[in-house]
Amino acid sequence: MKKDLRIGLLFALPWILGFIIFLAYPVLASLYYSFTNFSILREPSYVGADNYAELASDTVFHKALINTLIYAVGAVPLSTVVAIGLAMLLNTKVKGMSYYRTIFFLPSLVPMVALGTLFLWIFNGDYGLLNEGIRAANLEPPNWLGDPAWSKSTLMLISMWGCGQAMVIYLAGLQNVPVSLYEAADLDGAKLGKKIWNVTLPMLSPVILFNVVMGIIGALQVFAVPYVMFPGGAPARSTYFIASYLFDNAFQYQRMGYASAVGWVMFIITLVLTLLALKMSDRHVHYETE
Amino acid sequence: MNWTSVGIFGLAATLVVGAVVTGERVITRQDRTDRVTVIYWEKWTGSEGEEMRKVVNAFNESQDRIFVKYLSISGIDSKTRLAIAGGNPPDVAGIWGDQVVQFADANALTDLTELANDKGLDENYYIPAYWDGYVYKDKVWALPSTPAAIALHARPDLLPPEVATPETFPKTFEALDALVEKISVQGPNGSLKLAGFLPSNPGWWNWAWGYYFGGQLITGDKVTIDTPENLRAFRWIAKYTKKFGSQEVQSFQGGFGNFASPQDPFMSGKVAAEQNGVWKANYINVYKPGLEWFAVPMPYPADRPDLKGRSNLSQDVLCIPRGAKHVKEAFEFLSFVQKQDVMEGLCSAHGKNSPLAKVSEKFFDTHPNKYIRLFDQLARSPGAFNIPKVGVFPQISNEMNVAFQEVNSEQKTPERALADAQQRAEIIWSTYRKQVLAQ
Amino acid sequence: MGKRKQIQTALTHVALILLSVVFALPLLWMLSTSLKPISETLTTPPKWIPTEVMWSNYPDAINYNSKQLGYIPFLVYMRNTVVVTILCIVGSVTSNALVAYSFSRLRWAGRDAFFGLTVATMMIPFPVLMVPTFTLFRYLGWVGSFKPLWVPAFFASAFSIFLLRQFFRTIPMELSEAAKLDGCSEFRIFTDVIVPLAKPALMVVALFTFMGSWNDFLGPLIYLVDQNTFTLALGLSAYQTQHGGTPWNLLMAATLLVILPILIVFFFAQKLFIQGIATSGFK
Repeated sequence: MKKDLRIGLLFALPWILGFIIFLAYPVLASLYYSFTNFSILREPSYVGADNYAELASDTVFHKALINTLIYAVGAVPLSTVVAIGLAMLLNTKVKGMSYYRTIFFLPSLVPMVALGTLFLWIFNGDYGLLNEGIRAANLEPPNWLGDPAWSKSTLMLISMWGCGQAMVIYLAGLQNVPVSLYEAADLDGAKLGKKIWNVTLPMLSPVILFNVVMGIIGALQVFAVPYVMFPGGAPARSTYFIASYLFDNAFQYQRMGYASAVGWVMFIITLVLTLLALKMSDRHVHYETE
Repeated sequence: MNWTSVGIFGLAATLVVGAVVTGERVITRQDRTDRVTVIYWEKWTGSEGEEMRKVVNAFNESQDRIFVKYLSISGIDSKTRLAIAGGNPPDVAGIWGDQVVQFADANALTDLTELANDKGLDENYYIPAYWDGYVYKDKVWALPSTPAAIALHARPDLLPPEVATPETFPKTFEALDALVEKISVQGPNGSLKLAGFLPSNPGWWNWAWGYYFGGQLITGDKVTIDTPENLRAFRWIAKYTKKFGSQEVQSFQGGFGNFASPQDPFMSGKVAAEQNGVWKANYINVYKPGLEWFAVPMPYPADRPDLKGRSNLSQDVLCIPRGAKHVKEAFEFLSFVQKQDVMEGLCSAHGKNSPLAKVSEKFFDTHPNKYIRLFDQLARSPGAFNIPKVGVFPQISNEMNVAFQEVNSEQKTPERALADAQQRAEIIWSTYRKQVLAQ
Repeated sequence: MGKRKQIQTALTHVALILLSVVFALPLLWMLSTSLKPISETLTTPPKWIPTEVMWSNYPDAINYNSKQLGYIPFLVYMRNTVVVTILCIVGSVTSNALVAYSFSRLRWAGRDAFFGLTVATMMIPFPVLMVPTFTLFRYLGWVGSFKPLWVPAFFASAFSIFLLRQFFRTIPMELSEAAKLDGCSEFRIFTDVIVPLAKPALMVVALFTFMGSWNDFLGPLIYLVDQNTFTLALGLSAYQTQHGGTPWNLLMAATLLVILPILIVFFFAQKLFIQGIATSGFK
């Protein structure tokens, strides 16, 4: 027994070390820093719960938090619906499926920075491709980048465009649904909509859960694209997110202690939302292996 | 032993070693052995960077003990901070004058007072308003590389002849507003074609509007954002959005090209007048040579003639981070840049004015900006002002930017926007005083 | 085929074509812009086919040296990115394979609990770790070098461990047992039995690591200082500096060049890629 433990730990050593150095230590350290004022040019000095108290009344933090939640509430369902929809379309074994699959998947490979730059170009209010198209249809195009009412929608659209990875997972999930279930539904005279609701979605539910959870975690941390497209959260802080505020506090305002507090609040929120999703899933998700 | 395994392992090992070695080579300081190497980080790229490189080369050629290595760094402020924190800072850093106080408070700079005094670089050597930007808490923390002043630029070809000269152009805000009413052009559906003037263009000094109306952001120890003068300024800003329509202003702004291109709003004729810096002339010379333009001081409120000739100043400065390896040698380079001929050469090439009290006729005569005398005058006038000297200026400037954007997009009334900014700034300032200054 | 089926198929086709246009459009626009002369980049209405196909934009983007924007050493950025990416791939494949072996082929007390904990760590948001990790690297004096970007790869990662463990579990235990009877040590079993069989899964890990490292933006943003050490993802933002009229055509060309290696790799390894993502979705 002892020998097994030794060998097991030996092989797992890189991860054990990695876990301690790059996960456990930073998590605990950031908890410690969140109770200090740490400018990185001086030693951290203890300030008790001041940072958290400040967060509670920090209107910029509140704005960032609300922005992030709005974005998550918009982007996650949108991407999920689009990804599932695309997967279902692709699952119909049409001709040229592999070409379509490639086209839908490709955008998710593009680096965030390139995406940001490309869409700065496309969403430009005056000469961007999108607004030119809208004007061609005789509609009044919004100012995607300059209007605080539209900036978040711009980001949500961009996230939808990058849903290729989720789509592929759904596609694999769909292909695992036993055909017999559909045949049984057909015998019962079920129409397409009923089949989707009663067969496809329940069978797909574990996969949906996984993707939604990962989607929530990702949406709460959104940083790179807004950083490139909307410096400072312009216009009027409408695209300022928790991760942006954390970054600015850590690297612009020299307030690493405060940034750590922001990070921990973010962590707690992520945990809560994830647990909520898992709890809600108990009732709606159907596992074959039960 | 499985030979393919060995082969793969060997290949992997070679790749790793090769990559690590290459990586390390890229990073080294590459110090010379024959001279003391001074590492100099500067924010400038392009032609401005080239001009500074020339100065660096001149210094390197003028003596044989010190070699200055010029590196172009983007995000110079945060990178310098991180490097200081990492214990490996450059010897000279070209930061913005707006950041001197913040860095000094954070204990990130080397005190230059003694070195400067030894070389006679004191308040008599410089224009007072500029000198104020290097001194904080009675110590000298930085010296200039290139300063600047702000003025109102105008295009006579877009103006009615009776106001199309520097002497006849509107001097007060009220007169400017009337002119804008007259000459702005909006299409049948309201879309802007020509705006006489737009406060949001170029939008780099949103903290300064209040000052032109007699307000201040910080007075003594207190935050004074929510004051009648600042409110007046923001109401004036709101007027422009109201006049043209918020949607129209935003669409119009969205189409502004980059300032360093012919699509710049001033150069492409989208605005007839623009608040901008002394360097604007350089850009016009490059991107739209032959363009007719002139510069006048920024306007003042008609009932406040005491606010005539105000101009917000900005500077690029050189500082020596704390922990720099070669402080004495770095300062030798700094004082080389301060020599009148070197400084004037650099400032002229950048199209900026000189920070030195003494200025040569040659500087004026050969300067690319034909209105350089005006800018020089503005810098020396009692109305010239700098940013408030507090370490939280970056955050306060952010708050003023947000307040400006909120008013400009009609998200908030000027009263609300300033009240919110005041509240935020007070918290920021008091937290800073408690946590940073008390140390 | 029944009438209803025919309509359904036709509708599906229509939907797919429309959607693929929407998805492909931005990339096609990027390609089109990258081939235009600068004067045509800002035209309204937008032109799709440039009057003059400027293939020269590509070498121009690589050798970018202009009065306005200064010198952008694209090839230097590429070299830096290649260096970091190679190190990440080697580190990631070896460490993750070793660790996944432990979680799947070896029996030891606490193994499954630790694995559960490993999976749970995927929930920790990166920003929480950012500050302390930075101070750690600062303490080691590694800020400004490439080390913070590739050293962590040698310590495995939860996602790859998860992926490889699932795969390793599908290899019959009998193979290991037979090798053990032949007197092989666990390490020999690992190198001679498991690794050869797991090549597809290892390729997937290598692919994901490649993508992650090639596209990484935040890491280089925080840890790299001297412009000459930048990676491509970070260097792209240099084209978009405040100090120059953004040369959109060159920027799009440069962006496409940055994306190109991933596209090529994806093209050849499509099935593998998609299989890998698909298997990772199952709990």
